[in-house]
Amino acid sequence: MRYARLLIIALISHAVADDYQLLRADPSGYPRAVPNPAIEFPTDHLPHPDFRIEWWYLTANLTDADGESWGLQWTLFRQAMTPNADPGGWASKQVWMAHAALSTPTGHRYAERFARGGIGQAGVALNDTGDFNAWLDDWQWTGTAGSLFPGTLDLAFDAINLDITLNSTTPWVLQGEAGYHQKSDLGQASHYYSQPHIQIDGELTVDGETFTVSGPGWLDREWSSQPLAPNQPGWDWFSLHLNDGSALMVYQLRNDNGEPWINGTWVDADGRSQSLERGAIELTAESFTTLTLPTGEQKTLPLDWTLRLPDRNHSWRITALRPDSWLSTLFPYWEGPVVAQSQNPATPGGMGYLELTGY
Amino acid sequence: MLELTDVHKHFQQADGAVRVLDGLSTSLAPGRSAALLGESGSGKSTLLHLIAGLDSADSGRIVLDGTDTSAFKDADWAAWRRDKLSLIFQNYHLVPTLTVADNLALQARLAGRFDGDFYDHLVARLGLSDLLKRLPHQLSGGQQQRVAIGRALLHRPALVLADEPTGNLDERSSAAVMALLTELVREAGASLLMVTHSPAMAAHLDERWQLTNGRLETAA
Amino acid sequence: MRRLLSVLTRVLLTLLSHYRRHIAQTLFLAIGLVTGVGLWSAVQIINDHARASYSEADQLLGAQASHWVRARDGAGIDPADYIALRRDGFTQLYPILETRLAVNDEPLWLIATDLLALPRSESPLGASGGDWPSLVQPPYQTWYPPDLAADFGIGPGDTLMLDDGRQLPPAALQQQPQQGRRLFMDIGAALAVLQRDHFSYLGVGELSSAETDRLRRALPNHLQLVDNRQRLDLTQLTASLHSHLTAMSLLAFAVGLFIVFNAVRFALHLRRPTLHTLRELGASSRMLSVAVLLEALVWSALGTLGGLAAGRALATLLLPPVASSLQSLYGAVVGTDIQLGWARILLAWGITLVGLLLALAWPLWREAQQNIRQARSASDDWAADRQARRWLALFGLLLAVAALMLHSRMSTVTQGFVVLGLSLFAAAFVLPVWLASALRLVERCLPEPAWKLRWALRDAWAQLPQVRVAMMALLLALTANLGVETLVGSFRSALTIWLDQRLAADLYIQDDSLRLAAFTDHGAAPWLVASHQRNGVQIRWSGRPTLIRGLNTNAPDSRALPLADANEHLQDWFDGDNDWVLANEQVHHLAGVELGDRVQVDTAQGPQAFRIAGFFHDYGSPYFQLYLPYATVERLWPNASPEGLALWLSDAPDAEQQAESALLAAGAQPGDWLNQNTIKRVSLRIFDRTFAITTAMNGLTLSVAGIALLAALLALHQQRLSHYAHWRALGVRYREWLLIVALPLALLVALTGLAALPLGALLSSLLVHDLNVHAFGWTMPLQWQWPPALRLAALTAAVLGLTLLISLWQVRRRLPLALKQLGEDDA
Repeated sequence: MRYARLLIIALISHAVADDYQLLRADPSGYPRAVPNPAIEFPTDHLPHPDFRIEWWYLTANLTDADGESWGLQWTLFRQAMTPNADPGGWASKQVWMAHAALSTPTGHRYAERFARGGIGQAGVALNDTGDFNAWLDDWQWTGTAGSLFPGTLDLAFDAINLDITLNSTTPWVLQGEAGYHQKSDLGQASHYYSQPHIQIDGELTVDGETFTVSGPGWLDREWSSQPLAPNQPGWDWFSLHLNDGSALMVYQLRNDNGEPWINGTWVDADGRSQSLERGAIELTAESFTTLTLPTGEQKTLPLDWTLRLPDRNHSWRITALRPDSWLSTLFPYWEGPVVAQSQNPATPGGMGYLELTGY
Repeated sequence: MLELTDVHKHFQQADGAVRVLDGLSTSLAPGRSAALLGESGSGKSTLLHLIAGLDSADSGRIVLDGTDTSAFKDADWAAWRRDKLSLIFQNYHLVPTLTVADNLALQARLAGRFDGDFYDHLVARLGLSDLLKRLPHQLSGGQQQRVAIGRALLHRPALVLADEPTGNLDERSSAAVMALLTELVREAGASLLMVTHSPAMAAHLDERWQLTNGRLETAA
Repeated sequence: MRRLLSVLTRVLLTLLSHYRRHIAQTLFLAIGLVTGVGLWSAVQIINDHARASYSEADQLLGAQASHWVRARDGAGIDPADYIALRRDGFTQLYPILETRLAVNDEPLWLIATDLLALPRSESPLGASGGDWPSLVQPPYQTWYPPDLAADFGIGPGDTLMLDDGRQLPPAALQQQPQQGRRLFMDIGAALAVLQRDHFSYLGVGELSSAETDRLRRALPNHLQLVDNRQRLDLTQLTASLHSHLTAMSLLAFAVGLFIVFNAVRFALHLRRPTLHTLRELGASSRMLSVAVLLEALVWSALGTLGGLAAGRALATLLLPPVASSLQSLYGAVVGTDIQLGWARILLAWGITLVGLLLALAWPLWREAQQNIRQARSASDDWAADRQARRWLALFGLLLAVAALMLHSRMSTVTQGFVVLGLSLFAAAFVLPVWLASALRLVERCLPEPAWKLRWALRDAWAQLPQVRVAMMALLLALTANLGVETLVGSFRSALTIWLDQRLAADLYIQDDSLRLAAFTDHGAAPWLVASHQRNGVQIRWSGRPTLIRGLNTNAPDSRALPLADANEHLQDWFDGDNDWVLANEQVHHLAGVELGDRVQVDTAQGPQAFRIAGFFHDYGSPYFQLYLPYATVERLWPNASPEGLALWLSDAPDAEQQAESALLAAGAQPGDWLNQNTIKRVSLRIFDRTFAITTAMNGLTLSVAGIALLAALLALHQQRLSHYAHWRALGVRYREWLLIVALPLALLVALTGLAALPLGALLSSLLVHDLNVHAFGWTMPLQWQWPPALRLAALTAAVLGLTLLISLWQVRRRLPLALKQLGEDDA
């Protein structure tokens, strides 16, 4: 899911009072997410320009030769400014936004970019040779033929240069009902599929120093016209790579006046997945950390959690690797690597990513 | 020449109205001269002002040279002063930018009655022949007052009003100026009303009017 | 100490109570201060504001612009090249479309960019403030700075129709940083609305030197990276203009000070009894001086506040024409949002205080002198006045000598203005002696019987001491008006002649990518008689931006170049001799280059020397300019781009129509070419607007002088009221009074005006032959014109009539009381 990520659209004036208002905005005029038609590849890797928002969302937990932990996030967002027909070219109604963030052993660095659609400065398409390509300026993911894998990702920002390869052999995980993913009792929904098993290898150059890194990555693809209900202020979203090769996604959409909407997916090492429904997940914030942002603003965030899956008899204590992972982007949020410590002998530990929005 | 009947004049002051002239009546025949005597603030100058039309009475009749002035407008007064009247003040009030000659001739020229012979006569009588090209500030007080007298008489006025004309002069010049004044007024055939506080000066004139409590007592 | 303070306070209050009782004088003192400070500060505010804008010239719409990327052939940037560079990682690049539009022949600038691509420090759209989706999506929006919208009578949602028939998108009242008086549009919208397919250039944000090198290498051959030196250049190029403005404002301030001087002197004069009483009551003369100084402090504070408020309002009025001139002449982007800094406020206060103290010093000194000789007689007055006139004249002569000495060695604009100021004040100080001498002469010529005239003339002597200062102020104002009018007139006629010579062709193609061959048959067409394609490149030479132009030396307009000077090698230049160049006369006057001198310029082939065969007039250009043969420029500067194609049309009645059809057929847009008349009209309009502020300042200075005159007259009449009462007692009629009072005043004014004629000529000669040359490097013949002088005379007469009328009314109102009090002061 990761509506998190929608952060786009500051562009829209309504977003002033509440950074995430866009995600709850009245979707009238835009197509709605519906159970049919089913997800199809490679078509659905490419943009769905009529939907209001869409993203390609990669996170990865990487390790260098010295065993130090790194975290990588790259997100490409697309937004349609109006439900009207798209004149294309310089008058295109599409706006693109990208975030790149690197969690280094000593800190957290990120960058944000924007581009208008229609002029080739940003987009997702099959390139001249028919290969998948998602780009904004010189940030780009290039796949092979219609597939994202094997692929390469090139990023450069803030004296950081990143050149990695991405491989995956397991099938795509279609979230919810075959990719139709409900977000609230009120019918808010999206189209959503993921690839939790990506093997990443490559090189990072930071301030002139080069590191060879590798580790697991996780890609989310989602498009929708109104993924949040009006009473949902934000969410807490976890993606974990467990040491036994399986993967776990759990999120809760907090509710202003009631129980959070909680949901998850268990994916085994082969890529087979199983939905986790409300009663199967117990998620508790254990403690809160107060961060002081460069602007002087303070944020109090739950960076210490306990997650239990009672049916499977699993239990983890999940803590942020580096609390300082706030992105003061147009849509601000916290996103960073976490460590999942097994609380139970039968439970595999692991690494993953946490995203906190609406704080 | 001059006839005043029941003239009233008051001034508003902080401590109430002061009746300066309170039913004053008098007259002065043509060619006659009178000294107006009285204490300081008794209204001598006020009376002079009323006769010259510089101020207006509250009530009463002022007849000048046979004309009732009650209907006089500002311009009528100006014409009256120009043609028939002369004013002589203690401080001479010559026009500082004009020469003695021009000052002397000023009022006669304004009245359109400049008489060259009479001018020469007056210059000689006033002893100003050598001073004609001078400016007033180059003259002594006595000389200036003589210019003022000449200016006042050259147009042959019917009435000369003088307010302490010798007040700024020493005794000797005072007497000389006074003698000249009365003599020349007589020669010009004018009436003269002169405010003074000096009985010696008053003695030069035909009548002596004493202003007390806003009314006149006339002494021969 | 406390007692002392309380006594001082009491003394000060007693002194200040004067102003409550003499409202008119208080008003004049205030008006003098406020107008003086107001005019001065208005110009300072404008100058500060403009300079602040120049210091932002390395910024473009809120983004850094340390370099530009431009096409070598002047054709603009293909969006595909831009996208390729962005995708190559040059995210500091942003596209700019900048163009001049015309609405009713009025030039109007448009700047467009992609706000999303703009590397601003703040969030890209948060800072723009407007409705971004409406800006980028049809029907789009045009963002107008509010003052520009007001000028064009545009309200939100209105659409502006351009002279070429195109309609701009609906207006929104919005502005971006450094937008200045320009329209702003999204670049996509601008491409669509103006039917363009190229950007003007790319802005380049802050780059490290390594990135700069990488960019230089990455640029395709037809593009080049150019340094943005506008910040330095603008400050340098506009310095003269700002000195001009400052000088004018100082003059206005000085004229304001004359009113203050008169008012202060009168206020002190009237309070002499008060001062004496206070001294008798035990206030020491030192304490009185302190009290008077404190009073000056109070006045200066009030004057500063009022003056700054007035100045700010005036600046708001004057800034738009100045901003648009700066835009037209120098390409400087000056916004119209005015800031008033503390430094400026303190400076205004300081100069006001100094001015007031200067105004106070002389009357105070005189007052002190008079305490010694209490018994003051008229003769002292006359003598003192005569003496004062002589001292003033002596001082004036000293100033004149200083001016003369400085003039012979004058080399900078500032020195020029010092000479100018010295001359003006010298003249002002000599004026009283001139007036007195002229009066005496006229007096001598009067026949004996004209006694009324003589009286009137003699009365001038009574008026002179009082109106002397007002006459000096009037002289300054009249001289400045005449001088500047003559300058502007001379300049305008020189410009008109120059435009006629310079713009010999019928059509000028604006779009530099349009080639003659594109719309003619190998350069031939029945409607075409001749053409002249020029090329050019901008380099730096002698510390200034310098335009190198390649000409066809045999083109009709090259043959008829308006030359200021040339030597016998002019023919060599016409013959295309590579050794010889023509330079604009700025090169001669500002860089000190003489005919026949060698100038060395940097070319792509290394430094190259040329010799000067002639200097041509190049009005309005702040740059150096060198004319060489086309082929030479092409050879020495391979990156030179075609610039300006001029077409001479046949006499056929439909030649222009045919030419336009041919151009349209070749893909040109309406507005890509201009005809001769349009350019002339627009040039002259820019010229007129540039001098609008000058005219405004002059008019204001003259009205300040008028106020000085009125103040002096009212004070004079108040002082002389008892004299008038005596005259009236002698039977003087009002019309006689008017004659006696008005005639000498009219004479004094006329004599002052007469003095202003040669002085105005001197001033204009200084402005035209010295200051203009030092400031801008432009020479022109001085053209003395009578109409402005006559206009000025009529205006002065009107001002005089008005002030007389007001003072007559005052006297009539007060005379009855004065008559009642006649003789009272005698006792």
